[in-house]
Amino acid sequence: MSTQKNVLNIKTAADIQASNLNIEADVVVIGSGAGGAINAYELAKQGKKVVVLEAGPYVPSTKFAEMLAVAMGAMYQDEGGQANTHGDITVLQGACVGGSTVVNAALCFRTPDYYLDLWKKEFGLKNLTPELMSGYFDKVEKNLSITPNAKHETSVGADLISGGLKKLGIEEGIAKRNIRDCVMSGFCFAGCKTDRKQSMLVTYLPWACNHGAEIYADTRVTKINTQNSQASGVEAVVIDPKTKEVKSNVTVKAPIVVLAAGPIQSPIILQQSGIANSSGQVGKNFACHPSLSITAMFDEAVDDFHGATHSLYVDTHTLPEEGGYILLNAVQEPVEASFQSEPGTGKPYVAYMEKYRNSIRLITLIHDKNVGEVKLEEGVKKIIYEVDDQDFEAMKKGLKYNAEILFASGAKYLYLPTSNKTIINSVDEIDNVIDQLKNEPARYRYTSFHPQGTCRMGADPLKSVVNPYGETHDVKKLYIADASLLPTSIGYNPSETVYALSSYIADQIIKANFS
Amino acid sequence: MNNLMMNRRRFLKAASVIAAAVTALPAMSTFARVLTDQNRMDALEKAVFGKMLKIALPAKGSLLIDPATLPVLPTIEGALLAGMAPHIRSGLRGGIGYFNGGSVAKYGDQFVNLSDADAIAFVDDWSASSNTPERALSMGIKKLTVLAYWAIPNTWGPLGYDGPVSEKWGISSLGNTPEPTV
Repeated sequence: MSTQKNVLNIKTAADIQASNLNIEADVVVIGSGAGGAINAYELAKQGKKVVVLEAGPYVPSTKFAEMLAVAMGAMYQDEGGQANTHGDITVLQGACVGGSTVVNAALCFRTPDYYLDLWKKEFGLKNLTPELMSGYFDKVEKNLSITPNAKHETSVGADLISGGLKKLGIEEGIAKRNIRDCVMSGFCFAGCKTDRKQSMLVTYLPWACNHGAEIYADTRVTKINTQNSQASGVEAVVIDPKTKEVKSNVTVKAPIVVLAAGPIQSPIILQQSGIANSSGQVGKNFACHPSLSITAMFDEAVDDFHGATHSLYVDTHTLPEEGGYILLNAVQEPVEASFQSEPGTGKPYVAYMEKYRNSIRLITLIHDKNVGEVKLEEGVKKIIYEVDDQDFEAMKKGLKYNAEILFASGAKYLYLPTSNKTIINSVDEIDNVIDQLKNEPARYRYTSFHPQGTCRMGADPLKSVVNPYGETHDVKKLYIADASLLPTSIGYNPSETVYALSSYIADQIIKANFS
Repeated sequence: MNNLMMNRRRFLKAASVIAAAVTALPAMSTFARVLTDQNRMDALEKAVFGKMLKIALPAKGSLLIDPATLPVLPTIEGALLAGMAPHIRSGLRGGIGYFNGGSVAKYGDQFVNLSDADAIAFVDDWSASSNTPERALSMGIKKLTVLAYWAIPNTWGPLGYDGPVSEKWGISSLGNTPEPTV
């Protein structure tokens, strides 16, 4: 029964004084992002005692500063510094109560049927039919207020790009977002201070607490315990977020474990635990949707500071056979603008930043192959990933399309996000400049918001970590519910896919254990 | 240790660490970490970041606020370095040393001792280099420096950027969303 208090029942490192903590529960959930929060709610609603362990801190929205620099330090994994081993792709993830849902742009897409069909053919996921998934999409769209942007939910940059698309006769996509009554501050990436974005922090987590769930922040799981190839709980440590010192050792005994720490941390926890890897696939098949922003300069100030963070997209070439890229607009604050381009050191850079008001950006994001790996080496997390050569060719096509649209939108010249100065001064120069780009490490300023694929779901235990119902092939009653499940990258923002898939897995847990 | 004696394996590692670290923007105020002695800048690091700040943001004659009047280096140290894991911090220190020595071959002196014009030319050379670690180090150290500058809200006024808005606009919180009833 719901208490309807609708607040978080949460303990942080500051609240915990005991050096050892022993907890018993029906279900322990690792991670409080999309997958963890949805499972916590759905299982708590069944009357089960649910404990959620979140490695990141609890940052209430009243403390959101609407400054990306502060948000990175407080709410992102590795303070925003998580990257591949080359250091040229920043892999951004939320690391706080609510996970990435607190700091994402709220953009939602249903998983294209193309991928559900592909997963059926290549990975045996016959259960995830478009018909079945449609019901789950309906459910999460209702719960999270996922609706198409209203006409006024846009930005100056999006309006300019929209004009360019009309000139070129290119179809414009209107973003769907999980948001209520957006005030268009443009600070999605720094957390929504006024709780308009329907992150887990203001939805599924308080709802789970209405049914008795308990959340522990600052609590990092170090090991999943098993008995006779069946999950039996976890070991964790409570870490003081300021000193990084261990305050308490935690043991949770629970017959069901839901691992939802995200596509980087979930395989790391499995590797630390030495379980669920008879396939050798834990941590493998990493993909991340690398993205590059082109910065467009206009003659006059446009002040693309606020508005809907994302409001427009172009997906005319998003499926692999069509090109494998999607374009997304985004507002940006000076901190982001300061590293998106390389105009040259010194005075050219100062001149570039003085024209910040004249700039907008358009992002090219590619569907990438699952060529990477996440692993633990000598106690250190490593994301081994280089952009594949074929994927880079898709990126070049996407950058050309992007540049053409920006010029049609009225841009006078464009900066490409390279290590050295690369400018396109006119439409006529686009092909020549972009054709010269080579796929080289540390040459481009990549950002990834969508890590995925490190605990692949599939019917074959030799080729996948998790079965089609979310349970690991090797360890019974150990379920995984985050973007690590995705067998392939999906080319679109995967948040709604994770919301729907997590809801489905919660139903499978209930069916298998509580029915 | 002579930084120029650093072997290629360590060089690559340092370059990667720096390139990764630059994306870690400052955690300020209430979220700042405790700065340990191991994470503080040494004299060489202060000199390298100081030189980079001077050449990357020559504010004279522009709208920008003179970086010398702002706490940019304390922002790098107190916010970024304070939260850095020991192995990353160690790699960063090595990489900065290597970068500083990298200018000797062509420009005849360490980066911190170059004229501003030569220092700019060196940074741009390495940004365009065919050598991956050189690109990573040059791009990374410069990014880290300018990011710390732009993370300070005083720098936004000259750009016309108005910063946080919710309180200024008087926007109230919607609070937690009611639990669905079906």
